[in-house]
Amino acid sequence: MSLNRRQVLAGGLGLGAAVGLGACSGLTSKAGSTAPSSGASGGSGPVELTFVNWSGDAEKAAFDAVIAKFQQANPGITIKTDTVPYASVQTNLDTRFQAGNPPDLFRVSYIDMGQYTSQDVLLDLSDSLDANAFEPGLFQAVVANGKPYGAPHQIDTTAILYRKDAFEAAGITDVPTTLEEAWTWEQFSEAADKLAKVTKKGQSAFIYDWQSAGAYRWLSWLFEAGGALLTPDLKSAAIDSDAGRKALDFTKGFFDKGWVAKNTSVKSTTYPDSAFISGTVAMAFAGSFLVPAVDVGVKKKFEYGAMPQPRDVAASTDLGGNAVVAPKDGKNTEAAAKFLQFLVSEESMRTYCQATNELPTLKSLTSAQLDFDIRPDLMAPFVLQAKTLTPEQVSQVTVPQFADLNLALQNELEKAFLGGRSSADTATALAAAVQKALQ
Amino acid sequence: MSSAAALAAGESPVAPAGGSASRRRRRGAIWEPSALLFVGPSVLLAVAFLILPMLGSFYYSTRKVSPLSGTSTPRGLDNYTTMLSDPTFLRALLNTALFTVITVPLSMGLGLALAVLMNSVLPWRKVWRTVVYLPLVISGVSVGLIGTFLYNEVIGVVNKLLLALGANGGIPWQSNGFWAFTSVVLVTIWIRVGFSMIIYLAALQAVPGDLYEAASLEGANGWQQFRHITFPLVGPATFFLIIMNVIYSFQVFDTIFVLTNGGPGNSTEVLGTWAYKVAFGPTRDQGYGAAIGVVIFVLTLIFTIVQWRANRNRDVVA
Repeated sequence: MSLNRRQVLAGGLGLGAAVGLGACSGLTSKAGSTAPSSGASGGSGPVELTFVNWSGDAEKAAFDAVIAKFQQANPGITIKTDTVPYASVQTNLDTRFQAGNPPDLFRVSYIDMGQYTSQDVLLDLSDSLDANAFEPGLFQAVVANGKPYGAPHQIDTTAILYRKDAFEAAGITDVPTTLEEAWTWEQFSEAADKLAKVTKKGQSAFIYDWQSAGAYRWLSWLFEAGGALLTPDLKSAAIDSDAGRKALDFTKGFFDKGWVAKNTSVKSTTYPDSAFISGTVAMAFAGSFLVPAVDVGVKKKFEYGAMPQPRDVAASTDLGGNAVVAPKDGKNTEAAAKFLQFLVSEESMRTYCQATNELPTLKSLTSAQLDFDIRPDLMAPFVLQAKTLTPEQVSQVTVPQFADLNLALQNELEKAFLGGRSSADTATALAAAVQKALQ
Repeated sequence: MSSAAALAAGESPVAPAGGSASRRRRRGAIWEPSALLFVGPSVLLAVAFLILPMLGSFYYSTRKVSPLSGTSTPRGLDNYTTMLSDPTFLRALLNTALFTVITVPLSMGLGLALAVLMNSVLPWRKVWRTVVYLPLVISGVSVGLIGTFLYNEVIGVVNKLLLALGANGGIPWQSNGFWAFTSVVLVTIWIRVGFSMIIYLAALQAVPGDLYEAASLEGANGWQQFRHITFPLVGPATFFLIIMNVIYSFQVFDTIFVLTNGGPGNSTEVLGTWAYKVAFGPTRDQGYGAAIGVVIFVLTLIFTIVQWRANRNRDVVA
């Protein structure tokens, strides 16, 4: 999820600019929900729905296609999309909510769902969605108090993109293709060492996708080491553990050993897609939704492949991806629910995911072979990786306070990665920060 | 109407306080209703976009604001006490002070030096003047972006230049707090030096040439002339610049937000960026953000009052 944002930001458009734009649109846009509401509840009169989202190029085109089909099937309803930069989407939505004029539909990252469900502002979709149709672990991401409050539209997970020329130069031949074959942390270390030896000045062995709002992707290492962020009751921190310290030690080592560039730490604005495209890294941990942009950017300058993330006690990945939701006080909730139902129908989800290299949430599609539009040959590791997410891990990253937890991770990890603080101290500080955020 | 209105509008800013004003009122104050038309638009704009939002900040700084509904609940002075135990706030305060102490004298000193140079017989001085002033015209966000191209530690221009000149390795502009802070200071001085230069240049042109002539007849050398004639006579400009630059430095936001975003760690976090992050970042604590805004306001106000008083006394002494 947060990666789409990155794409928007990666070009160095600048947060400030984005924020400025966001503020403007929040103030000036006239949400279509003020448009005719008569007969909306009956579903007969003409209705215009406003849909606020952020999108990369491929996503925008795919959304437009789904909307066109929906409008064809429901002549009374038109949907107006309002695409805003990821960095300002939250401010934009806040302003609309505060003005009492929220959009009829909007896109929310799974990790941000809790902020809305805890305020009880979202439409209960119990009557529109069939919980059994979705992968249970993933459906969990939109559920609060036993009810679904969003349509779990897509997920994306992190796997490794690697340059074949760099691997050849470093003499790495055992490239894993399945989760079982995935490198152990030790094998990964050996490979990173070899790569670090063959990279030139200004290049590094790899980049990890934990920048900014992606800080929580560090949790993949924690989960791989067998650790947890929160206790099973989700009430207190569980990170100050052997597994926590092990994961911190290992990831801190990326910087100490020079495997990653120092300006790719958690607060940086150097993202994997731009680093990989510009040829400064041999491997990039990246979400599958970045593949379309990477493929355009690399322009066959070099050959590259994809492989699963390394594993330790377990294999793991991050919960990226987004739901689409409707506010419960919207003027056209019935039409909005109808669209959400359509959006996560098998056909719509299939075409959307195939066009964007994102992964589905419907059981019928996760077991099916999707025909991805761009570099389908790269997608297998991502699909496999998605299966490593457990419902327990999903529930840890969708607690209402997750925004604060993510921020705590960002602040504390930065001190370990660049500030030289020890893993033991960092684990303690993280536990304290997590505990504080939970209260 | 025009003469009376012009009088009414033109006189008010310079109307002496106290005795004379009340005397005039007794005589039948000059009151021309059309004056309202002249000041109305500015007052309305100021009230709508400055005064009301400011009062709003004061109000919200004592509340907890719910980000979605916009409703707020009283929090007393909790937002202010939170600051005292918020290490990032304290760091931001320290950074802001440090940033101000470094950038204000440096940009003014350089500005004065450049102004003296531009005031002399430098060839193409109009071109140089424009070059120095230009960064000020560019938006802070763009300047920040230019800074990111210069100071990126892997692909940045500065490090590439250093490597080309035979340096061992680049400078860690982004991953080391000291260097990140340095990059911010350098970019800020680049922006601000033009402003100081223009103001000083205007002040220099008002210094009577015969003073220098008299001084040189008395045998004063160049430095002595600068020290005892130029510097004291551009005093009012110096005071104006100190106030403007300190306010600017205290409120710095856009350049830092784009260039370092407060990182690495919190080493370039300033009050402006921290207030923004608190209010509009993931935590969206708008009450606390407003409280930090109030702190910036109060600190700037205190400084301005002190400076203004010092300035007035100085004029009286002179």
